[in-house]
Amino acid sequence: MNRWADGKACQLHYPLYIGLTWDDYDISPVQDLASQVQSLLRAENDLSLYDFYIIADTTTAETSQRAKLSGPGAGGELGEYRGHALSVNVITDPSTKSTSASLRTWRPVLDVRHNPERSVDSATLAPFIASEIRKIYEHENDAISHLLRDTPFTTSGQVEALSPEVKSSLDARRTRAFKYAATYHLTFSLFTSSASPSAWEAEQALEDSIRPLLDRFSSISEFTVDTQVQLLASFSPSIAGPQYDESTREWKLQRTDLSGFVNAAEWPLNPGIGSGPTINFVLFVPSEDQSPLVLAETGGNSWLIPQWGGVQILNPSGKQSEKLSAADLRPVMLTFADQLSALLGLPDSPASPSLRISSLVRERATSLVLSASSTLGALARLSLKLTSIAIPDSVAKSVDETILRLDQACHDLRDGRYHRALENARTAEGEAEQAFFEPSMVGQVYFPEEHKVAVYVPLLGPMAVPLVMAALKEFRKLRATKAKVA
Amino acid sequence: MRLSILLTLPATLLSLIYAQEQHSYTEHLHLKPLPDNSLYAGFTFTSTTPYTAYASNHFRYFPRSLAQILQYTHTAELHLRFALGRWDEESWGSRPRRGLREGGNGVELWAWMDGAEEGWSDLVNSLSGLFCASLNFVDSGKTTRPVLSFEPEGTLEELQRKRSRTGELRLLHGMLPHEVVCTENLTPFLKLLPCKGKAGISSLLDGHKLFDANWQTMAVDVRPVCTPGGDCILEIEQTVDMVLDIERSMRPRESPIPRPLPIEDVTCDETKGYNGHDTCYPRRPKGETAWSLSSVFGRPIRGSCALGGSEKQEYDITFEVPSERTVEITSETTIPQSTTSSGSRTYRLPQNADFDLNLPHQVLGSSAQASTLEQPPLYASRQLTGHGAERGGMHTLLRNPHPYTQRIVYLESLPWFLRPYMHTLALSGAGKMEKMFYTPLLDRKRGTHLELLIEIQPLSTVELTYDFEKAILRYTEYPPDANRGFDIPAAIIRVLPSSNNSQSKQGSYLRTTSLLLPLPTPDFSMPYNVIILTSTVIALGFGSIFNLLVRRFVLVEEVPGNAIAGVVRRVRDGVARIRGMVKGGGVGRVDNGGGGVVKKGEEVVGGEVRKVDGGGRGGKKDR
Repeated sequence: MNRWADGKACQLHYPLYIGLTWDDYDISPVQDLASQVQSLLRAENDLSLYDFYIIADTTTAETSQRAKLSGPGAGGELGEYRGHALSVNVITDPSTKSTSASLRTWRPVLDVRHNPERSVDSATLAPFIASEIRKIYEHENDAISHLLRDTPFTTSGQVEALSPEVKSSLDARRTRAFKYAATYHLTFSLFTSSASPSAWEAEQALEDSIRPLLDRFSSISEFTVDTQVQLLASFSPSIAGPQYDESTREWKLQRTDLSGFVNAAEWPLNPGIGSGPTINFVLFVPSEDQSPLVLAETGGNSWLIPQWGGVQILNPSGKQSEKLSAADLRPVMLTFADQLSALLGLPDSPASPSLRISSLVRERATSLVLSASSTLGALARLSLKLTSIAIPDSVAKSVDETILRLDQACHDLRDGRYHRALENARTAEGEAEQAFFEPSMVGQVYFPEEHKVAVYVPLLGPMAVPLVMAALKEFRKLRATKAKVA
Repeated sequence: MRLSILLTLPATLLSLIYAQEQHSYTEHLHLKPLPDNSLYAGFTFTSTTPYTAYASNHFRYFPRSLAQILQYTHTAELHLRFALGRWDEESWGSRPRRGLREGGNGVELWAWMDGAEEGWSDLVNSLSGLFCASLNFVDSGKTTRPVLSFEPEGTLEELQRKRSRTGELRLLHGMLPHEVVCTENLTPFLKLLPCKGKAGISSLLDGHKLFDANWQTMAVDVRPVCTPGGDCILEIEQTVDMVLDIERSMRPRESPIPRPLPIEDVTCDETKGYNGHDTCYPRRPKGETAWSLSSVFGRPIRGSCALGGSEKQEYDITFEVPSERTVEITSETTIPQSTTSSGSRTYRLPQNADFDLNLPHQVLGSSAQASTLEQPPLYASRQLTGHGAERGGMHTLLRNPHPYTQRIVYLESLPWFLRPYMHTLALSGAGKMEKMFYTPLLDRKRGTHLELLIEIQPLSTVELTYDFEKAILRYTEYPPDANRGFDIPAAIIRVLPSSNNSQSKQGSYLRTTSLLLPLPTPDFSMPYNVIILTSTVIALGFGSIFNLLVRRFVLVEEVPGNAIAGVVRRVRDGVARIRGMVKGGGVGRVDNGGGGVVKKGEEVVGGEVRKVDGGGRGGKKDR
């Protein structure tokens, strides 16, 4: 237990296998280029968390062809496309003026176009590719370093100091995001101040705008989606409410009111049943006499509540209709999609979503390993501190399972099997939490020794009196004999 | 009569209409003055959702919070009741909605579900959270599986076929007679409604008035309704029924304590012999009391809860009064209304405007007053008999007031600490027991389930008796108010529909009152007394043995002068002197001398005592 708590059991390291193809050439120059890029990446000390393996791959071009044929539905494998974290495709293109790189949106592929007439030798190409790769992983490296900071898993030289701006942005991302869970429940609610609109085509709108995003995330977590309509929703009495601004003819909502905008007492936003947190998305339609309603400072209409969900105001357009159509809801749902990615902790860069998701996998696996090991440490300290506590077998079993899973997660991480690492880390974390919050132990933690004393005082008190008196007497006699002798 | 027919309507006819129109919401208020200045108010709120939308988690009028629970626990049909008070059949006649929407005192719950035990425990725990009730205490000991007493209201077989599930749905039933229903249960109940008590008839529901009623029951019923071979819809019907005492409800909220009127304002019955200038026998006021909705319920109806597709709905309020009774409407807009031949009025609520009904004081003709009450299908009462803390008996009277034979199902679910002797079960009178279903109790695990199918002869009374033994509970099993007694849930009686008059397969229901059973209760300070007593005995024994062991026995001469003894003696001398001075005079002087003598003697006694037990402590104590 303590080996994990002290961070000695696992040295966190992330191998990245990057495939390299060069359409024109045979295997040998590609291998040369690959080894050059690899040595360049390893020479630099700034991405010390990663081990880069650049593999010359002559078959990638074919496979990508095949992947294209099989259609874009193969979302689940995107993160580990052909087992490589990233594929670099060097394309000889006589039309380009200078060497350029671009990331594909839904595939972890970096296309590098270069003109063989202008830069023939691989000596200039290798540093370019190396710097592009570094750019891609820079942000993730910062994020993981930040995670490891102040934990026993930090080893000297592995974690560099981060600039305050980077740090604050990472902190903001971390506080916004939900804790990782295997299942998230998404609830989309339409709240209207008056009795209309009383319906929305949420099903269609969700299918159009949210479903693609959820499919991307399906390799990490599962999602359940539900929607509801709530009429006659009133503001909470604890907020000042919107103020009418004569100059702009708008109702303005102050910043201080945003935290209390969601009327938790009256709006039925029960969390979903079953394991996993609920992410709430609230679409609020103000009544006709209070619209347009905007935020006072920015003039915007949506905001995000960290670790809770997102809120958006939709001002009714001129015609008051009973039903919000899917077309009306499209911009709304796109904003919700943005908010959802932020709430799930998706990093802001690199540009390719598939790379972002795979870097999220690494980050989440790391943070789960960290939290499971710190829970183990806390449990070890607790059992040492409260020696009278009885530890049931189930706890011992959970701890064994946690350690086993953590070992596996660590191996998976070191071998670059990130999805399996995430799965193992998730089980480890769950087991550790279960062991720590074992109901029969929680009760004992709060049973103080004083209670036992209270029961025994009626017995010990009367028995102590003659003992103390006799002791006093003996002591006095001893002093008297001493005085006599003297 | 009209009351019951109207209220069976939603169950049968309306559901067919709404099968086509899928997301829908309707509400209806039925008002009917009862004798003795009482007013019956029955609220009905019905929302539906197509089953496909329910299965894919898209909700409009159907409450999402409840739907989630139903889905998670695989519940096909749910019935939940919160009840308070007793329906007085003698003065109010037959029960509203044929007793289908009422429960035993406290909370009652029954459901048809797919899963087994875990589903049920999940269901009671989630409902307990949703309705702020202690439903989580409905454990295996309070759960029964009735066979004859309940019939599903929805089309469960169709639903199972549609969901292509083969397993049979199971009925589970639980009751919590100890639960006190109050405002904290009403608030979540109102939250399930689309208009949440802010508009429509639900704006009349106020905890202060509702729980001050003579009798009230809140019900939540969810059932699937499938058209044969077609689509299914899920319907939730929420009802609130109450009987308000008009006078009591009209008391001002600021000073609810009734005070005697000044004697000038009282109309006196001067025919009484003791009538005088300062004594008065108040005359019963003639005619009907004046009242209005806002004075009885504390506020008017705040406009209609008209949602999309509510045009089909005809009227929101039915007011069943004799045709002679004047009813004034207070509203800013004109109200569509109509009067039926029998005098019932129906009203439609205005949009965004208050609505109030006003009934002035009025003396009605004799024809209107003699409105006869409808006979209830059966009268039932149940009592505990016997004395002492060991045994007791149960005694139930069932009276059939009708001139035809009736078959009833009598269901008792008894807690495990009441152990019935089945050999003493006896049915006497003009009736016979056709069937009996009995599940014996298991200590702390399962209660008794007793279900009897009884046939009762016309115009006769049947008496059902059995004896039981009271169990002795463990120390920790007693509630904090152990001496109050333990609640025994109500017996549920289902009057089966007679074959020639089968308007519904449900029949009608009535419930007896719940009972209070005193159990042998220990003195709860006993463990502490035992601790203290044994500790004292042990300490005494220990002290004396210890003293015997450590004490040394010496002669008086060997006793050294004791500092404490000297101080004590000096104080005593002083006290004696002061005493002498207070008594005063020459006598005091003589006393003083006497005191000295005594003092000397005491000293000797003290020395002897000290000689015996030798210890400083002992000496001090003796002095």
